[in-house]
Amino acid sequence: MLSAAASTIPRLRLATQPPRARIPSARSHWLRPLSSATHVTAPAAAAGAAGSLEPPDLPRLAKAARISLSPQEAEEFEPKIRQLIDWFGQLRVVDLESIEPSLRAGTTAGSSLREDKPETFVNRDAIVEAVPSFDDPYIKVPRVLNKE
Amino acid sequence: MALTLLRGMRTPISFRSSTGLFFTVLRPRLARFTTRVESAQATEAKAAAKSIQLVTKEAAEQKTQGFEAIIGIETHVQLSTVTKAFCSCPYNYGSQPNTTICPTCMGHPGTLPVLNEKVVECAVKLGLALNCEISMTSKFDRKQYFYPDLPKGYQISQFDIPIAKKGYVDLDLPVEFGGGHRKFGITRVHMEEDAGKLLHSESGSYSQVDLNRAGVPLLEIVSEPDMRTGIEAAEYGAELQRIVRYLGVSNGNMQEGSLRCDVNVSVRPVGQSEFGTKVEIKNMNSFSEINRAIDYEISRQILLHKEGQADQIVQETRLWDESSQKTFTMRKKEGLADYRYFPEPDLPEVVLSTDYIDEISKSLPELPEAKRRRYENMGLSMQDVLFLANDDNVAHFFDSTLEHGADAKLACNWIMGDIAAYLKNEKLSIDETKLTPLELSELIASIKNGTISGKIGKEILVELISKGGTVKGVIEEKDLVQIADPAAIEAMVDKVIADNPKQLEQYRAGKTKLQGFFAGQVMKASKGKANPVLLNKILGEKLNAN
Repeated sequence: MLSAAASTIPRLRLATQPPRARIPSARSHWLRPLSSATHVTAPAAAAGAAGSLEPPDLPRLAKAARISLSPQEAEEFEPKIRQLIDWFGQLRVVDLESIEPSLRAGTTAGSSLREDKPETFVNRDAIVEAVPSFDDPYIKVPRVLNKE
Repeated sequence: MALTLLRGMRTPISFRSSTGLFFTVLRPRLARFTTRVESAQATEAKAAAKSIQLVTKEAAEQKTQGFEAIIGIETHVQLSTVTKAFCSCPYNYGSQPNTTICPTCMGHPGTLPVLNEKVVECAVKLGLALNCEISMTSKFDRKQYFYPDLPKGYQISQFDIPIAKKGYVDLDLPVEFGGGHRKFGITRVHMEEDAGKLLHSESGSYSQVDLNRAGVPLLEIVSEPDMRTGIEAAEYGAELQRIVRYLGVSNGNMQEGSLRCDVNVSVRPVGQSEFGTKVEIKNMNSFSEINRAIDYEISRQILLHKEGQADQIVQETRLWDESSQKTFTMRKKEGLADYRYFPEPDLPEVVLSTDYIDEISKSLPELPEAKRRRYENMGLSMQDVLFLANDDNVAHFFDSTLEHGADAKLACNWIMGDIAAYLKNEKLSIDETKLTPLELSELIASIKNGTISGKIGKEILVELISKGGTVKGVIEEKDLVQIADPAAIEAMVDKVIADNPKQLEQYRAGKTKLQGFFAGQVMKASKGKANPVLLNKILGEKLNAN
């Protein structure tokens, strides 16, 4: 997880190079602090304090990712994730005023669409085998009713 | 969501100032609509003053005294593509469970989604049909939530940059509901994938999942909160159904779940600018259920307001129960769900060219609204107009009949009368019968030029629609040519009068209603072939000749 994030940083920098059509609303929508509970954290406020962001709320993150962490594990992860968030904090102080926003990092290569032609996957047995609990012809899961 | 209220026809809205090629195409259309809307408003007001619907309308207003409802709708339309959105699995409604699946739609690690070009085409078609701005560049995002019908743990959707936005839809309310033209704003249209199907066993301790539908392409259409009544909302849904069917992007079938409407309803005192607490209603399987569910929900909320219990209206999802005609709490919302949207890294952005959009724009069929205006200009009544434009196939049949020279009103009467009755009885659609537009136009012409009577025409129609053939063929085969020779009719009249001396006596004694009896007898003698106008003229002369 940490190494993946580290390699993200140089790629994001590269992505800010070629100016393209300006789409104002596209700016920094997804550069939200991971630990923020709402959708409306103002980027300016965060950038004010030298790019520092709210520290991670480990129990909440674990719950969102559907993983259980012991208090000890949570304690171990906390500094690592805080470091990751800090990197995003650093990114936020970069002055992007004169930079055209990019929707994507370097994926503007020609058409990547697929023709609407059916192709049946032949190894269905393998898929079915990989299902933890199969009750032919359905996949069996714990009873769920109206649970968000 | 933008909270700007586009209050339908009351405020003609001037849309956007952006650049782009298709706006120059749209502008003249928009101008025409605005003028039309104003004139429609004037005629509507005039008609309403006399209409009986006004009474019901006023009764409804009394019930809502001092309150107004705000309704917004999210509609999911399942696209009728051959394959899923991001993998090549074929999708057919009703396939054996868990057969049309592959590692991609099952969310196996290491798989890569590839967008189906047809999905983009459908989205652009619908966006243009809904008068939207099309995003030349848009992207996909991941919407994360955990549910067993969602194998990947996220849904590929579009979050901050939908493929189309800021449109509107025009429609006409049914005459029996008071009529009137409406314009409702469309906030956005975006592409996304469907989830699988969950089946809950009543007794069992587990649920069953069928992932055939997982990854099937959907378009989500979000309306502005412009609707005020159940019928407006139902008609908005019906118009979307017509549009997707006209465009051929979806079968729009509500029973199969190809078109699903989630409705948000809130109520506020008239004059208040903030919205009331909104309640979401689900589980409506027809437009009439949408209408009734909303009207029920509106009165429920108004009642709570009036009783000073407005705080009992909470943000929740309610289910419509058709058997009790009520809505029930399904779940209360605990704050806003945090879907942790982020850009889908496995898919490149969707980049469109103006040529591509132009091409699609040119290929669009005449849409329901344009059709209705065209029919209206032919002088047809609104009831006729709505009936004909409701079904693409019917409209096409009607148009073809006119191309063969038939009179619009007569063709419309045949389609709405005898043909519609037959279709309803036989549960057929108009293009599934043996009747062709050419033969309908021949039939109309044969009646008009006096070859056959209207009554015989009806008999011939039944023959044509069930067995096929031509009008000329049936007339010759069954010897149905109308008797328009005065001498021949006179002979039959004479015989009938001679055969019924008693009735003649009564007639001459003043019981003039008996002319109908004589006319019937003559018609019977002629096997329905006597020209009725001639018959009555001759009969009248004879009966009164003393």
